Amino acid sequence: MKNEELKYTGRLIQVRIYLGKFLRMFVFQNDWKILPMGAVIAAVVTFVIGANLFQTQEGTEIGVFALVCVCIWNGFFNSIQAVCRERDIIKREHRAGLHMSSYVVSQMIYQLILCAAQTVVTMIICHVTGVHFPAEGIITSWGMLDVAITLLLITYAADMMALMVSCIVRTTTTAMTTMPFLLIFQLVFSGGFFNLSGFADKLKYLTISHWGMDALCSIGRYNEEPMVSVWNMLVNFKDLEYQGMTPLKDILVKVESEGLRDSFLLWSGQNNAKAAYVSEPSVVLMNWAAIAALLIIFAIAAVVALEFIDRDKR
Amino acid sequence: MLDSDSWVSIGQSVLFWLLMSIGLWRVTGKLAFKRRWMVWLPGLRFYALGASVDMPREGAICGGLELLTFILDVITTDNMNEKLLLALSLLALVLLVFIYVYSIRIYMRLTRVFGMRKLWIILFLIAEWLPLLIIGFGKRFQPKNTSFTEDWEAGTAPAKLEGTEEENVRALKNEGLSFEIRDRTVSSFGKKQYLLKDIAIDIPNGSFVLLLGGSGSGKTTLVNAIIGYEKANATVKLNGSDIYRDYGQMKYRIGFVPQKNLMRGTDTVMHTVNDSARLRMPKSLTGSQRKSKTQEVMELLGLSAGSDGLVSKKSGGQLRRISIAMELVTDPELFVLDEPDSGLDGVISREIFTKLRAIADEGKIVIAITHTPDRVIDLFDKVIVLGRDSGRVGRLAFYGSPQEAREFFGKDTMEEIVMSVNRKEEGGEGLADECIERYARLAARAEGGAAS
Repeated sequence: MKNEELKYTGRLIQVRIYLGKFLRMFVFQNDWKILPMGAVIAAVVTFVIGANLFQTQEGTEIGVFALVCVCIWNGFFNSIQAVCRERDIIKREHRAGLHMSSYVVSQMIYQLILCAAQTVVTMIICHVTGVHFPAEGIITSWGMLDVAITLLLITYAADMMALMVSCIVRTTTTAMTTMPFLLIFQLVFSGGFFNLSGFADKLKYLTISHWGMDALCSIGRYNEEPMVSVWNMLVNFKDLEYQGMTPLKDILVKVESEGLRDSFLLWSGQNNAKAAYVSEPSVVLMNWAAIAALLIIFAIAAVVALEFIDRDKR
Repeated sequence: MLDSDSWVSIGQSVLFWLLMSIGLWRVTGKLAFKRRWMVWLPGLRFYALGASVDMPREGAICGGLELLTFILDVITTDNMNEKLLLALSLLALVLLVFIYVYSIRIYMRLTRVFGMRKLWIILFLIAEWLPLLIIGFGKRFQPKNTSFTEDWEAGTAPAKLEGTEEENVRALKNEGLSFEIRDRTVSSFGKKQYLLKDIAIDIPNGSFVLLLGGSGSGKTTLVNAIIGYEKANATVKLNGSDIYRDYGQMKYRIGFVPQKNLMRGTDTVMHTVNDSARLRMPKSLTGSQRKSKTQEVMELLGLSAGSDGLVSKKSGGQLRRISIAMELVTDPELFVLDEPDSGLDGVISREIFTKLRAIADEGKIVIAITHTPDRVIDLFDKVIVLGRDSGRVGRLAFYGSPQEAREFFGKDTMEEIVMSVNRKEEGGEGLADECIERYARLAARAEGGAAS
């Protein structure tokens, strides 16, 4: 008779087994292709928005939004099919003793490696395309490192969200159909570009994009940057006549001739300061913590969803 | 600050939650539910109870609804817009109705599991924590049926066709596989549908058994019920151990090769088999023992050459053998294969079945489903024939040796036997009902003879 109390492979060893499998998958299933793909996306985006990123409030807002989009896109693409494409295999392995928590944890480690690699690629592309990162960081002494950590967190949280979806749905088709909706939700409810109010405004707290944008604007010292849109608007209206005179033009010429333009831009920026973008460690850490909390929730939901895999109909 | 009424209300809620959790803790303990910590958390507690009475789906739904209600309660404030408040209240009401419906279903099952009268459900509806505490702490309340399904009606149990004296002795010694599947049902829109009914068989160790039946006769359902993957109202014992009761341990003693080749194409053959061994073999085995067993199995199945190649590059026959190796490497006592020859030509198919015969000769029980039985029938010891009766329920139409099967059905080949039990609209002879009845009579006579 066999011993009833036999112990089998524990969760930790299972994590190692599956991590090995995923790393082999990276090589043989062409998962490495996500790196050049991410590089191309980052290059296109930073080519367009790079010059003004972290230079002016407008440039920072648009640039940060675009960077967050790149990260979410990368994260979603990394894992949206990761689980559902091998759902039947997981089901078989679960029957043979696989712990779902081990499977998800090994996926998390593997995806973290992918996201880290993508973040490095994105940062290199940003550097090459001439993005000026803040010289000093808020948390670390290097601004570029603060930005990189934030991008990594955003990519990873998006990755975990897609992993959760991949654990819930049963086919790759459903997963790919779901992805655009999630992306739109993240973008619309980020609160960065669209004015939200009431219940919709509350929804922004559920998005990775909202916390990510706040963190990046805070690291980029948004509140200390010049605001150019007011000046540009005044320039557009400079020829406006009032009682035969052009008072706006006169003022602009005076400001320009006295070298006060930069002060005016900074003054505009200070008046447009936002509490959410204050460049303080507590603000950045809170944003990071919110993203981390979201990704943990997604990971837990992924485990719970997979625990029901045996209920799949044949 | 909260007023005194609010404190009283909070105190009451905490007290009832505590009482219910204690009751659930005790009840799930009696039902040997492993993750009992769940009973302390809103949402999860219903799942814990549902899962412990074999209703995890209902438990999960009820738990999810409870959690939603909890969230609604938290987000609802008096300052809200009236319309929104009304909408949320209506939603909460609908959720509560659903919670009641699902919790009643779970409590009904609970009373049945503990052999209690249905009237207890009234007490559950009034104060659910009270009956839970009573069941949890009452010594006379013990689970009556470990498979949590309907009581086995006396006298309707299928008689087993008793084999030779040697087989009877073996059965008494608790050797081999013995199963009594009373029924296997599914619910569709609240309607109970029978998939299998009255199947009882004893299979001695070292047997190579063919499972025959037309499409939809319940072959895969039967296999899943035997290995404990989809539990039926049944008792299934493997060498004296109850597969359903000790599934956590027993699943490692069972190998199941599914119809599809479910493995990662991006792994090498060696990694696939070795990882499978690491996942399924006891911790106590050393790395070298595991590797040696992996090598042995790969040798047996002819996979050693090219074991460094990717799975995705292998042929259909090799894939089937890898799939078999993944299960065989743990040395299972019961080995079940769903169409191991699917998509393979005659020569390779024969080769695979010959290997399976060798595995059975080592003292294991091997059960295989195949749609082309005649080219390998000489390798089998026993045949199980399933037929779908007029009520579309899978039943036992025959169990015995291949020769006995030919005599019983009056056919020369296994394919003809399958055709005879297949329904007419499927191109068969539609004799399933007749065969099932005739076999039941034969079995009853054999049992009577054995008893006398």
